[in-house]
Amino acid sequence: MLDHILSILIFFPALAAMLGFVVAKDSIRAYGITVAAIEFVLSLWLWYAYDPMSSGMQFMESAPLIPAFGINYLLGIDGISLFIVILSTFFTLIGIASLTETRRVKDMIITLLFLEMTMVGVFAALDAIVFYVFWELSLVPMLYIIGAWGGPLRIYASVKFFLYTFTGSLVMLVGMLFMAYFYYQATGMWSFSILEWYRLILPENFQLWLFAAFFLGFAIKVPMFPFHTWLPYAHGQAPTIGSVILAAILLKMGTYAFVRFSLPLFPDASVFFMFPIAAIAIIMIIYTAMVAYAQEDIKQVVAYSSVSHMGVIILGTFALNVEGVSGSVFLMLAHGVVSGALFLLVGVIYDRRHTKLMSEFGGLASVMPRYATIFGIMMMASVGLPLTINFVGEFLSLLGFYKQSHTYTLIAGTAIIVGAIYMLAAYKKMFFGNVTNEENKKLKDVNKTELIGLVPLVILAIWLGVYPKPVLEPINNSVESVIQLMHDKAQSSEAKARIPNLSDAGAMKLHQEAH
Amino acid sequence: MELYLYIALFAPLVGSLYAALFGASPKSYHTGLIASGLLFTSLVSSAILLSYVMGGHTVHVELMTWMATGDLYIPFGFVVDQVSVVMMMVVTIVSTVVHVYSIGYMDHDKGFNRFFSYLSAFVFSMMVLVMSDNFAGLFIGWEGVGLCSWLLIGFWYHKESATWAANEAFIMNRIADLGMLIGIFLVYWNIGSLQYDVVFAEIHNLDQKVITWIGIFLFIGAMGKSAQFPLHPWLADAMEGPTPVSALIHAATMVTAGVYLVIRANPIYSEIPDVGYFIASLGAFVAMFAATMALVNRDMKRIIAYSTLSQLGYMFVAAGLGAYWVALFHLMAHAFFKALLFLGAGNVMHAMSDELDPVKMGGLYKVMKGTAILMILASVALAGIWPFAGFFSKDKILEVAFSSEHYILWGTLWITAGLTAFYSFRLIMLAFFGEERYKQYGFHPHEAYRFMLVVMSPLALLAVIAGWFEHDFVRLVTTLLPGFEFHTHHVELMLIGVTSLIAVGGIVTAILMYRNGPLSTKWEEHFCYKVLINQYYIPKLYNEIFTKPYGALSRFAWKEIDIRIVDATVDMIANAIYKTGENTRDIQNGNLSTMLRWMVIGLVVLLALAVAFTVGYNAIGA
Repeated sequence: MLDHILSILIFFPALAAMLGFVVAKDSIRAYGITVAAIEFVLSLWLWYAYDPMSSGMQFMESAPLIPAFGINYLLGIDGISLFIVILSTFFTLIGIASLTETRRVKDMIITLLFLEMTMVGVFAALDAIVFYVFWELSLVPMLYIIGAWGGPLRIYASVKFFLYTFTGSLVMLVGMLFMAYFYYQATGMWSFSILEWYRLILPENFQLWLFAAFFLGFAIKVPMFPFHTWLPYAHGQAPTIGSVILAAILLKMGTYAFVRFSLPLFPDASVFFMFPIAAIAIIMIIYTAMVAYAQEDIKQVVAYSSVSHMGVIILGTFALNVEGVSGSVFLMLAHGVVSGALFLLVGVIYDRRHTKLMSEFGGLASVMPRYATIFGIMMMASVGLPLTINFVGEFLSLLGFYKQSHTYTLIAGTAIIVGAIYMLAAYKKMFFGNVTNEENKKLKDVNKTELIGLVPLVILAIWLGVYPKPVLEPINNSVESVIQLMHDKAQSSEAKARIPNLSDAGAMKLHQEAH
Repeated sequence: MELYLYIALFAPLVGSLYAALFGASPKSYHTGLIASGLLFTSLVSSAILLSYVMGGHTVHVELMTWMATGDLYIPFGFVVDQVSVVMMMVVTIVSTVVHVYSIGYMDHDKGFNRFFSYLSAFVFSMMVLVMSDNFAGLFIGWEGVGLCSWLLIGFWYHKESATWAANEAFIMNRIADLGMLIGIFLVYWNIGSLQYDVVFAEIHNLDQKVITWIGIFLFIGAMGKSAQFPLHPWLADAMEGPTPVSALIHAATMVTAGVYLVIRANPIYSEIPDVGYFIASLGAFVAMFAATMALVNRDMKRIIAYSTLSQLGYMFVAAGLGAYWVALFHLMAHAFFKALLFLGAGNVMHAMSDELDPVKMGGLYKVMKGTAILMILASVALAGIWPFAGFFSKDKILEVAFSSEHYILWGTLWITAGLTAFYSFRLIMLAFFGEERYKQYGFHPHEAYRFMLVVMSPLALLAVIAGWFEHDFVRLVTTLLPGFEFHTHHVELMLIGVTSLIAVGGIVTAILMYRNGPLSTKWEEHFCYKVLINQYYIPKLYNEIFTKPYGALSRFAWKEIDIRIVDATVDMIANAIYKTGENTRDIQNGNLSTMLRWMVIGLVVLLALAVAFTVGYNAIGA
């Protein structure tokens, strides 16, 4: 069964979703939770069976799809994708388990299960076409979730979300086709296998164009400034569960793709674009943090804070050294946990008051102490307090980039200041002060259903902050092989210098130990 | 000994978690008692470790790996050596006292359990800060105390001023923390490790410029926690928190973390005397700057807060000039008498129903003799009168400045010593002596619970005797810290005399001036008074040049840039495509004659292009 565990992980939720159509309305919830739980356990099994010491792809599966063009159904997992897969199954589970939506629950759960398929598919795919298919398919369930369960502007928001990201992906697809064509020219064979593409060394000017094509697709997904404006609309209109999955998993597709495609395929271009991208990352960090501070709606604060944090992830990715890239991959998980939790928390208060305006609240700490505590913990995690999950990722990302530039990192480091400003200000508006609004006086504290979603996230946020090793170690091993690959492939002397040579460092260490 | 180390470290955490279990339930004494008991355990363990360290040993443990990636390896490692054990003793003594005191102080507060949970969590963070064996671990404690400080300043979260002050403190500290973080990055990329022992052993191999930057950035971190100019305003505002918090966090322990950092990183700062001199100069400036603000203030806690600020300046002078043990000595002595002073102020606040203006008090000596005596003791120690603790430690700092031939620094500190004595006794005179003005305002003061006074007595004792152990102290800490050679033997007595003279002068002046109560209000019209009472207009200035523009710029970024430029462009492109489709729809409307017309147009355009290209191509060819 382990030989096909990735296929099972991808298609089990889809099959279950099909079957879901015949399940009675009353039992769909239990059904959904069961399916998601089985899926989650399977993903944990994947982790258990995964060999953390090996850095390459594991559990690989391959089946020909269109052999003439070298398109294969190729799957595999390494330390970089493993935990994002687990995060996807985990969030689907707690998303369904703590679902408070009452309208058309059956449709919602079926949609979520389909969405789960596409998410796992994206992170497990090693063939560019398979990747692309899942990447685009993931838009559909989310389009439906926003469009069917969203707020008053839901149609505008969902269409914007769909068209915008779709446009970017099309450019990316063109890039993929060119990539395959170059591979064909070089080897005389067609291939869409990412692993085979890794071996291809492209001239630098080709790299630059291809990098740009992929970049557009990824950047809109992340979303990077100035392509981020679909996000506030999507979050603003999406129901809680939609925002949770969107922030926790879907955005990670973009940053994950940078690590999976852009870095190892185009090492010279990555170095070439390092500083322009770092500049965009800095704009994301500071500018969106300021925009977040200006918001009146708590959900928009969290939405913009996502963009700000994604800036740190991008910065870590383009540090192009083990510390930075490991940090950025870890921060993807961390941001998933924290932003997912924050959106769930926003949902809690929205369910009670049907407003997200912060001015409507105030003094909630005395009415809903448990809610305030969990929100406080998650806020501190978002701010990046040491011993919370975010700190590890942020610290390593910034540390990594510091190797490349002092000044950029110093400016980007203001993330820890501006992040604190909007978060603390928002928390103060919502939770501190006296309860002035009559409607808030009788609010009920978080209930059991909501705790099912929140408590595991709180535990994760602290556990992985105190002891990140089980996750960080496999990530580190796989990232090391990516960096080594990049160094070996790099042609320009600048790229050789910027991307560290680990085998050298390893040899030096051995050398030192021998003395 | 590892066991004692772990007990000392984790007992406060257990206490905090225990109290947190009952965080939302109504007050129950057992949370306070158990938290205090566990702290006492921590104190005892620290004392055992102290005696062990005095025997010439140190304890070093590695609990587990925290972060490891690439070449980076950061463990949870803890070290008990001559410096950390002193800090541990200071922290546990003061916090045990404050815990027990708080059982009485917070007696009527709804958040009793929550308070102990935060307070113990603070002690745990502080212990992590001082016991850590690497910079990253220090940073954990550093941010941990920041969090607890935020929680405790904003403890009465229904008060706008309290939550504002809490956020201000957190954010200002964050600004400094960025400096600290950059310092840590520099250390890592230049040395490849964050462990103290490795870093300090290798630091002298680095380029002078790099060491200077490391020193500067680490000191920026220290400036935030220790509230040095220009990051000082948060400390005075932090007085919004409950008074025991001010005693523990904002006087005795957390704010001295910056000084501790400089002392701990002495191998770095010894390499860069220029930065050290800057630190000392800033310290001297802050000492005087803060003392002047304390002269006129009418808020009892703020006066003591400015005094803390001023004393931190003293410590930085010593540390900056390379007299690390002297800085640590003053840190310790200051912790005792300043905590005592704050707890005394807490008693007065209780008695006066949270009134803080000493002008509205007067004559309290008659009703609260115990508190008055304790506060006078602390003030005498603060003023530096023989044989109290402050005399030994503060005098040493002046001697350091004189001995290093930095006479301007010495002069500044000397004048400040006079100011210190003056404002301390101004407060004492206004609050405890003179006419009983509180009667006009309808207060009915009463003495605090007896056990609160009893529990303050160890601090009082230490405030008196701590200085007597100078030689043992020096012997202990100079095994780790560099010694400091005084070249002042010939003038030592004269220096002591001059310093004591100005201190006594300050006290006498205060007593004479405030013997009959507050000065006339005419003085409040004076320019100097206005500048001082407004804290040199710095908070206002910050508000005008940072807070307000940041808010305005944020709104501008959102409403103008994000919505009207970035998003509007996206929509414009989408609309353009959509409109193009709408407008060109007629081309394909199925009407034969229109379509033929379009075909002809198309043909003409293509032909024209073909001709143009051919001509152009031939032109180039020719």
